Amino acid sequence: MLSSLIPILAFLFQEADRGRLAQTWQAATHPDLSKFLVIGALLFIIGVAGVLTRRNIIVIFMSIELILNAANLNFIAFSRYLQETGSVNAIAGQIFTVFVIVVAAAEAAIGLGIVIALYRNKETIWVDEIDLLKW
Amino acid sequence: MTLSGYEALFFWIFALAAIFAGLLTVMARNAVHSALFLISSLVSVAALFVLSGAEFIAGVQILVYVGGVMVLFLFVIMLVNVGAEERGRDEIFNKSKQVTASLIFCFLLVGGVLYAVSEAYPALQALHQQRTTPEAIAAQKAARERSFPAGATRTSRITDDTERVGNSLYRYASLPFEIASVLLLVAIIGSVMLARTLKQEASADDVDPETLQEEIAADPELAKLEPRTE
Repeated sequence: MLSSLIPILAFLFQEADRGRLAQTWQAATHPDLSKFLVIGALLFIIGVAGVLTRRNIIVIFMSIELILNAANLNFIAFSRYLQETGSVNAIAGQIFTVFVIVVAAAEAAIGLGIVIALYRNKETIWVDEIDLLKW
Repeated sequence: MTLSGYEALFFWIFALAAIFAGLLTVMARNAVHSALFLISSLVSVAALFVLSGAEFIAGVQILVYVGGVMVLFLFVIMLVNVGAEERGRDEIFNKSKQVTASLIFCFLLVGGVLYAVSEAYPALQALHQQRTTPEAIAAQKAARERSFPAGATRTSRITDDTERVGNSLYRYASLPFEIASVLLLVAIIGSVMLARTLKQEASADDVDPETLQEEIAADPELAKLEPRTE
């Protein structure tokens, strides 16, 4: 269905370089491993930016979850890629993802326990006010 | 792996949804809104998992993340209720110098990763193209799909993906699996220990006597607590 749109787009952009446009359209309608990797990279960067810029410690934890999810996306995409190109144990990517999810759950439980204890003692969740260990 | 047709359409929808929800997670002023945007980002990523043929992982993602971890997050946000953020009095980002530095770093990281993917991906493809052509992959995939029994509606086939994940999990990763169970136990005990109040610690007779005397001087309520002994 999508490939039937190519002639319409080519008609609309008659002046444009047809071969190159068709190539781009072909790449966009057939997303492959590299597209998954780019999406994973963007999610990772958003997570890193959140960790570095936010003041709320709970939002920082959520950004860490976002980073872990980007890694999971890469694992799954590579697992699928290797399944199709015939690897020995291509399903290992999915196994890794299960363990990443387990570790993320444990990390969230411990981290939020620390946040609760911290809030009880210091009455703040702003990371720039939590400077007990700062020399 | 190449998606086509409706799969490609859904790929772009869910990829954009994941990225925009992620951006809004980082930029939302209210922490509860952040949590809800993170949930939608996680669900979109789970949909991408389904598109790449990992249905079991998508289910685990939704059950564990959305059902478990995010509910925990929402509980903690509501326990640690900070009103100033919502009313717009406090700055949600760090000091502007640090923010600028970290954003520059992030843009460099974006550039580096995108450059690396665009440089290395053709080489990877060329490496695998020598071994298998796309036609061979498609034929192999079709042959594998024909070998599965049809589902009840006769429109789809019952795959063995989950079975394979389970097999690998217990055959190749049984030791990490056991270690993960110990990790979860430690996490449970640790979070219970961390989240106890002084009162709860005193009633379990778990406080240093000298510290307890000091605390009783500040809060006479504590003296009334009878240490529970088995």
